[in-house]
Amino acid sequence: MIEYLLFATFIGLLFHGIHRKVIARVQGRPGPPIWQEILHTLKFSFKETWIPKTASQTLFVGIVFVAIAIWSGALFILLSGGSILLLFAVYLLHKIVEHGMGLSTGSPYTKFGAIRSVISAASELPLLVTVVAIYFFTRSLSIADITAYQEVNGPLLIIAFPAAVAMYLVILSKMHYGPFSIIEAKEIVSGNMTEHFGVWRAGLEVAYALKTYVLLYAFVLIFIGSLPLWLALLAMLIVLVSLSFVCAVTPMLSPYDTVTIQSLVTGALIIYIVILGVVMG
Amino acid sequence: MFNLPNPQIGGPELFVLEFGDIVAYFSPYTAVLFAFALLFTVLVIVSRPERQVDIAFGGDAYYTKEVEPDLLRFQRFMAIACGLATLGAMVTGDVFNFTLFASMIGITNIGIVAAYRNRHVLNAAFQYGIVAMLATVPLFGGAAIVLSSTGTLSMWELFTAAVAVPLIAKAFLVLGVMGEGMAPFYIAKAEITRAQGAPFILMVHVSSLLLFLRVMEIVISM
Repeated sequence: MIEYLLFATFIGLLFHGIHRKVIARVQGRPGPPIWQEILHTLKFSFKETWIPKTASQTLFVGIVFVAIAIWSGALFILLSGGSILLLFAVYLLHKIVEHGMGLSTGSPYTKFGAIRSVISAASELPLLVTVVAIYFFTRSLSIADITAYQEVNGPLLIIAFPAAVAMYLVILSKMHYGPFSIIEAKEIVSGNMTEHFGVWRAGLEVAYALKTYVLLYAFVLIFIGSLPLWLALLAMLIVLVSLSFVCAVTPMLSPYDTVTIQSLVTGALIIYIVILGVVMG
Repeated sequence: MFNLPNPQIGGPELFVLEFGDIVAYFSPYTAVLFAFALLFTVLVIVSRPERQVDIAFGGDAYYTKEVEPDLLRFQRFMAIACGLATLGAMVTGDVFNFTLFASMIGITNIGIVAAYRNRHVLNAAFQYGIVAMLATVPLFGGAAIVLSSTGTLSMWELFTAAVAVPLIAKAFLVLGVMGEGMAPFYIAKAEITRAQGAPFILMVHVSSLLLFLRVMEIVISM
């Protein structure tokens, strides 16, 4: 498990680098090398580190460990074929991490990030509706059962396409430099991450790398099915590059617009589920 | 002796805790939620609040705000009570107990912020209080419909395929939880987070999300 955690962290950081590179190329810039995020994390790991004088010290430090712990747990859930309801729980708990990170420092910029994180709670709703839609087809929330269902009936990407679109939006909501990345917008410096630097930032980079890996892998497992590792990585890369394209050509939305779009998608999916309920009994 | 009827949703049962005919249970799902609630309750106990930095407009000055000891003690007490209610809601095996814990979370959430002397925060707490009070009707109404239509409130019975819970009861339960726990998301939370005391304010968020996650498991399982 430890070696897989290290592997997932490495791939996640590499994906972040590729994400930045693709965005830069689409926008006509050379962009950083794809291993830039790995170098960043290593650099932060050896930088001088302290805790701001105004921070709630225990929470400031504790939240970094919580972030790493929940996404390591999420990776374990995926690998062990656990429940996607648990995966959904981890995704929601990440919201607490974002919020706690912003509140704990005392800085007005991080606080703005934390409040934006609360406002964008609508980003979780499409995932919940996705979970319910999948349950309609598979009658189970276990990832092992879902992949087994796809081996018999074909990928859910085709069978439950609207649910796949909703989950795609969920992943997009958590991508750096995306239209929904309001909590780390530059007008509030780095948002809720502003005051976490040095080793704390390195820890957060590791947690976010795991998050990217887990979300992309979950998308592949849930909507395409169980694949050999190299093929799964290729599928994840394709999904990532498509997300990078969206991020590159879409400006950052205002906080209330993000909520509106996510709520509209949720509403559309609820209609889809009602229709499913009527058709499938 | 006990076997969860639908392990395909939250995983198989790991451990049960009997209180007479009320049987709390730990599945991988509820155990994770319980552990998370416990972690943040401990954080509330051991953490001291941050000192919020405010900018004085019209100049370059900024100042930090201190939390008064009395306010700190009250907020911490309420946050711990909220943590305990959340712990109960995560593992209870009885729908009525769940609704009781949910309403206690609503009360303690208001308590965490209502002691803070700031007009915006107090307005938000007042709005939250009204919604939480209104939400007790669908919350307990949902539990009442479950009891009257099935004859039991035990999740061990309700989760079996033989017992059909009316859709309206499930909808009422979700609506009630949204009012008790999730209310701040939609009406007042951004204002509530103006209040100081990060570890305690965070408990409002922790309890809301965990309560929502639990009710989802209950509703899907029934």
